Amino acid sequence: MSYLTVRTRNAGDALVVYIDGYLNSLMGEEVERVVQDSLDAGGRKFLLNFEGTRLINSIGISIIIDIVEKLMERNGMLAFCALSRINRELFQMTGVARYVKVFEREEEALGHIGPSA
Amino acid sequence: MLSRYIIPNEVRDRGRIAVRLIWNQGAGFSFRPEGFYGREEELASLLRVCREGKSGVGASIMIFGPPNVGKTSILLKLKHDLQSLTEGTDPPRPFPFYFSFSKILSHPLALSQHFLQEFLWQTLVFLGESPPAAFDAEAMCERLSSFGLTDCRDLLIAHRRFSERGDGLSALVSAISFPFSTGGGIFYPVFLFDDFQYTSKLQGIPDGAILSILRPYIKSGHFPIIISGSSPGHVTSSLKREGLFGTFQLVEVGGLSRHASEALWASLFERRKIEMPVHIQKRAAARLGHVPIYQRMFAEEVSFRSAQVTDEIGFENLYALSITEGQLNRYWREFFENSFPDRLDRARAIKFLKRLVCDRFPLDTFEGALSLLGTSPEDGVRILSALEFKGLLKSDFEQLRFIDDPVLADFLYWAFERGVSGKGSSQVAAAMVQAKLARSAPGEEEIEREKLLATAKELMRRWDCREVPMMLFRFGSFMERFGGKGLLEVVIGMEREPQKMRLPKISSVSTGYRTRRRGPRLDFDLVAYGFLDAEFSEDNLVIWAVDVNGEQTLTAMAVEHFENRCRLLSLEMGLKVRQFQKWILFEGGVDPAALELSSRYDILLTHRSQMRIFLNLFGMEEIGVQAEERKPPETPKGPEPLEFELVLPMKADTEVVAARVAEEVAAYASLDKDSVDRIKMALIEACINAFEHSGAESGKVRLRYVLSPDKIELFVQDEGKGFRAGRTDESRRNRGWGLKLIRELVDDVEIITGEKGTIVRMVKFLDTGKEKEGAGSPGPE
Repeated sequence: MSYLTVRTRNAGDALVVYIDGYLNSLMGEEVERVVQDSLDAGGRKFLLNFEGTRLINSIGISIIIDIVEKLMERNGMLAFCALSRINRELFQMTGVARYVKVFEREEEALGHIGPSA
Repeated sequence: MLSRYIIPNEVRDRGRIAVRLIWNQGAGFSFRPEGFYGREEELASLLRVCREGKSGVGASIMIFGPPNVGKTSILLKLKHDLQSLTEGTDPPRPFPFYFSFSKILSHPLALSQHFLQEFLWQTLVFLGESPPAAFDAEAMCERLSSFGLTDCRDLLIAHRRFSERGDGLSALVSAISFPFSTGGGIFYPVFLFDDFQYTSKLQGIPDGAILSILRPYIKSGHFPIIISGSSPGHVTSSLKREGLFGTFQLVEVGGLSRHASEALWASLFERRKIEMPVHIQKRAAARLGHVPIYQRMFAEEVSFRSAQVTDEIGFENLYALSITEGQLNRYWREFFENSFPDRLDRARAIKFLKRLVCDRFPLDTFEGALSLLGTSPEDGVRILSALEFKGLLKSDFEQLRFIDDPVLADFLYWAFERGVSGKGSSQVAAAMVQAKLARSAPGEEEIEREKLLATAKELMRRWDCREVPMMLFRFGSFMERFGGKGLLEVVIGMEREPQKMRLPKISSVSTGYRTRRRGPRLDFDLVAYGFLDAEFSEDNLVIWAVDVNGEQTLTAMAVEHFENRCRLLSLEMGLKVRQFQKWILFEGGVDPAALELSSRYDILLTHRSQMRIFLNLFGMEEIGVQAEERKPPETPKGPEPLEFELVLPMKADTEVVAARVAEEVAAYASLDKDSVDRIKMALIEACINAFEHSGAESGKVRLRYVLSPDKIELFVQDEGKGFRAGRTDESRRNRGWGLKLIRELVDDVEIITGEKGTIVRMVKFLDTGKEKEGAGSPGPE
């Protein structure tokens, strides 16, 4: 029933996932599904772009943590970009920021996860 | 043709201010922002929509209005402001892409080519590249690729292939879709599509095809898209076909505000060294309908004839001269010559319009218009659609509305008297001056009333089988509950308000309804019909009759008069009681007798202040709300705390409403963005906790926002058994952040579990001394 879709873009061998709107359980699960599908298809590099994220709730954060854990297990690479001040704080408070590199801009992030392996 | 009148062709080199915005086929023109006056309200809401695009939220707006009233100027000013306001801000910055469909490019291949070139060129200019010397799409692509826009070359190849095949539609699809995929992290596109009515004149392309191409982008809600055109009729019917009607916000552009048009006079007169007494200036501005282009032409007329206007008679004479043989005359004469190249058609159109615009013949149906034209149906339809295309006629589905323009009315009078009665220009001018001196200009009150009417119309268009607390319609109970406080109260699903009104899906809202042409004239300000449960059966039909009362006090007599008209209409249509809703919107106070009468007749009464809550409910707070009204009427930092209440149904995502309200409340306290963000997040978590852990029966969560001089307190109350902070099974999904986050986000948290449920009290202290600094730049951690 869900008409919610997550915008994605392939940038080289990395997948950019745009988290637009409200990151709640619904959106989180959709992001998780997109990442999982790509992982299953052999993708290893991911960038979550939070530029369009207006609100985040704790369930959304939990799912992001699941994604972080999953990628650590599978030796994937993950970066965040374009976090607003409050969202950056939220990730700091929940400790997510310790495991994920955060960039201002998408190109910057892609430059970081792009070239190596 | 718009540009010819509003924007001078010569590029005035005023240093950096003269911005060359458009480049097309060599006919570039400049827009001078310093020559732009007024429209603050429209611009503010448009700017807001454009800037929201940064967070991936785009709204679609359609601007419409009579020809040359200044729609293009609004778009160009918007483009200018958007660029100057966001210069130097963090990327992505808004890239306003202006495109006018008015160029004579009726071939889809030519249009798509032009569209692409225009987009590439404007993108390069936006990115700070020096514009290429020639029209070389390849070269432009080359340069753009250094900004990461790499899809461009593929697009050109595809486009060439379509051109070779002569496949215009595919070429259009690829060209128009292209900008939506651009931007990356550098910019986000904001679309300013001008003269949209021309999209219906493409060769071999079905009407509405451009909208079909835009449809997915409009529906996605990610892109700010502003469409401007002379008449909404043609476009709205296409929108309806595409199922996009509800997603568009309509903005009608008319004359300037009184203040702005006077400012414009001042600048025009100063430049031309014209002197005119202030009271005559005011009168002159009103006579010209506060339309900037008329003001410019009139000023030119005065300086061309090196006349001086010292009194009323002098003004009226000069005006009559202008309209019978001067600038204003030439303007409209050319307009009609262009619109109706055929002389017979032109004469018919002028005669027809004269009766409507000048004599105010009551007419609002197509059938009526055809019979008044007195031509064969084919000729009639051709004339009407030409009028509509030029924006002189606004059709709102089956209802017709004609442009209300004082200068056009006078021109039509001249054309009619000369053409039909064979009078000379000077005779007509003399008659005009005499008539004009006796008549006065419309007042501010009338304008306010029109605004309220438009707001109500837009509201009705938006309600879509929604439930709204009856209290919002019943002025008596509303006053009882909120009258004492006199504050903006946001009411969503009010508790202890069992009665609700089911609002139908409105299919049509029209102005000035009259039953049959020869029957009794039942003149309402608005009439709407719609269907409950979105089911189009006779049983579900609901009719609304709406009157807007602009008087200082709503009297019993006005209510009685309204009721009488309603009874007639209801008899005429054979309506059952529940199928007919009567609604009066009023501005001032209510006579107690009127209040009693309306409750006896079951007439819904709504005050302007209640309307604002409707606006909020339907997510359109910017329409009709003036800038000064958005500011708190008095300083909120008085001794009395302000209190706001909100009741949320326990449904997924309703916590977003709580956050939204928090934003509005915080605006009262001029809180800095950081604090607002924190409060929002804390509220969201508290609501989710209330939903998840309470197990409440009532299915409602009650919120209170209390604003004191030194702090903002938030209460979230459910009726359940309380927080179980230490529960472990929920950490299954790494959950249980909620309370922890709340503690981090606000200054103080208290959880009170009582018999009535659990209350979470959160406090954020307002740092009154330092908040001004914090608002602008985020300080160090």
